[in-house]
Amino acid sequence: MVKEEKEIANRPDNTAFTQQRLPAWQPMLSAGIVIPGFVLIGLAFIGIGVALFVTSRSITVLEIDYTGVEKDSPCYKCSDADVKNCVCNLVFSIDRTRVLLLWFVKLFQNYRKYAASKDDDQLSGDLDAFTAPSDSCSPYDYNSNDKPIVPCGAIANSMFNDTFKLYRVVNGAKKLVPLDGKGIAWWIDYNVKYRNPSVTPLKNAFNNTVKPIFWPKPAYQLDASDPANNGFINQDFLVWMRRAALPDFRKLYRRITEGDYAKGLPAGNYSLTIAYNYPVLSFEGTKKVVFSNVSWMGGKNEFLGIAYLVVGSLCVLMSIVMLIVYAKFKFPEED
Amino acid sequence: MAYLKFQRSAIHSAVSSSAAHIGVGISGQEGMQAVLASDYSFAQFRYLRRLLLVHGRWSYFRMCNFLWYFFYKNFAFTLVHFWYGFFCGFSAQTVYDQWFITLFNIVYTSLPVLAMGLFDQDVSDQNSLHYPSLYKPGQQNLFFNKRQFFLCTLQGVSTSSLLFFIPYAAFSVMVKEDGSYISDQQVFAVTIATSLVIVVTVQIGLDTHYWTVVNHFFVWGSLIVYFAILFAMQSDGMFGIFTSSFPFVGTARNCLSEKSVWLVILLTSVVCVVPGMAVSFLRVELFPTLTDKVQTSSHRSAYAFSHQQGYGELITSGKNMKMSTASSTGSPGGTPQSSTWIENMLKRKNAVSCVSDEITGAPAKTD
Repeated sequence: MVKEEKEIANRPDNTAFTQQRLPAWQPMLSAGIVIPGFVLIGLAFIGIGVALFVTSRSITVLEIDYTGVEKDSPCYKCSDADVKNCVCNLVFSIDRTRVLLLWFVKLFQNYRKYAASKDDDQLSGDLDAFTAPSDSCSPYDYNSNDKPIVPCGAIANSMFNDTFKLYRVVNGAKKLVPLDGKGIAWWIDYNVKYRNPSVTPLKNAFNNTVKPIFWPKPAYQLDASDPANNGFINQDFLVWMRRAALPDFRKLYRRITEGDYAKGLPAGNYSLTIAYNYPVLSFEGTKKVVFSNVSWMGGKNEFLGIAYLVVGSLCVLMSIVMLIVYAKFKFPEED
Repeated sequence: MAYLKFQRSAIHSAVSSSAAHIGVGISGQEGMQAVLASDYSFAQFRYLRRLLLVHGRWSYFRMCNFLWYFFYKNFAFTLVHFWYGFFCGFSAQTVYDQWFITLFNIVYTSLPVLAMGLFDQDVSDQNSLHYPSLYKPGQQNLFFNKRQFFLCTLQGVSTSSLLFFIPYAAFSVMVKEDGSYISDQQVFAVTIATSLVIVVTVQIGLDTHYWTVVNHFFVWGSLIVYFAILFAMQSDGMFGIFTSSFPFVGTARNCLSEKSVWLVILLTSVVCVVPGMAVSFLRVELFPTLTDKVQTSSHRSAYAFSHQQGYGELITSGKNMKMSTASSTGSPGGTPQSSTWIENMLKRKNAVSCVSDEITGAPAKTD
């Protein structure tokens, strides 16, 4: 009797959870599911791939390298490091309408030390950080006279500063094409992430600080024509600060959507005047100017279309192989 | 389980199983010494059968699956940085957001595999008892050995390379629908992180054979929690409170609303998962193990199996099983039907090394 009581006391719980008897769904990847599944995925991917490929084909991109390495390049004279304020001129023709002007640079914005070299507090308008920039910005935090640099850091210091003026050549005469620089950066950058200090005029917030060493003008003078485009919320500055993931990248410079060019640049001859300020030859970088269109999938992206087509075809092929294997091994069993 | 030791003696019985590394004692008429010396004890010798063949076997199976998956997901997660090194000047720049790195192993991927480790059953307990041969892979260390680890590493490395190179190729030339920049570090990070979480969650879903309520809750819950935390951490509110700690403000909203980003995520996920499915389907069709056959048969109707004796030899002689042409060495065909299942197991331990050869056998005596 004692033994029975002891047994009952030590008996473990007899619930479904503790006795591994929980009801369960036991899916089985049988041929009836896998083979039609592969066919479906394959066909869907082929469909998407065709749509992407056709869309990408309809977008054209014109790229012109203006680094000036070759002797016969129009910008060769600017590639000399000693020449300052050089201006060079590119002449080209466009065969289809384009709406975007981008610049392409080959440089490592994703290098770790470079990527960490900025002060988020400064860039969100915190005046305390103006007088004491954070250590992560060094050696671009104080200049040789121990004055704080605003905005500090290597990313801000290396801001892209080539400027472009586009002219349409009509009957030998050059006509300036208006370029739209509003909204080229992300809304979140312009409105939330980067804030100017709330001091008016903005110039006063920058007392006792110096501009980044490489910059020609301080932050509050980045755009003389538009007062709302100065300080840290300058559109070109924001575009530059959105750090690229890969070593070569193209970022938006301007859109061509104003006035006579509401539908983009029509076919014709054009001339681009470039203020060549940004030195890339010292680290073997390259610079290009790019004219492009956009579509529902973004710019021209042949990779996605081709990748979807290839993966879709492979899925369909695999499903055929699996069907053959299944048929061959199943039916002899059942006789 | 690498081996099973036991002593049969009138005075005490003790069994140790080295996979679970537990000592089991059986309390008897003669005394309780074995019980005092063991981790677990029970009262009757016949309980040992269920402990070994069902729970011991499940434990080995779950542990191996768990290990395999854990190594796989961590290789897939970490080696993306190896590939990225070639493109960031080997500066050890991280691909992912710091918060994602912190939360990946703790929050996003820990619970589904935990549920699999607790509840998964490849075959039911009745089938485990009816086919003691299913115990053999445990004794022979078949489910997780050097070869399996190598295959798991290979799958992890190839998943990581696909996770990196497909977004790399797509983002080289991508812009947003309105033309503005999208190939920045943060969008790249969120895209690869989202693809990774989807791939490893789908993979654990495919690896789980026995979906209880808990499994469903953990798997779908992990995915939902990932997206919830992603949007919460990259919201304006968090940025307002801790400015320097949340530099990824606004990224999730901006990139996960672009069709091209979702197309990249879909392509990456499918390319990482689908080859594994094809390979495992072909393996089950071309080289089925005893586990596969028992699973397939138990999904058909139950008439195929006789329950007269409940021992494994019966299945080897059934007409519905395919007779392999491979020769079998030392098959237990000549032995008379044993009185205890333990003697059968001992015989089989010394028999053929390949599990599938169990299916070839002597012609039935009862049929």
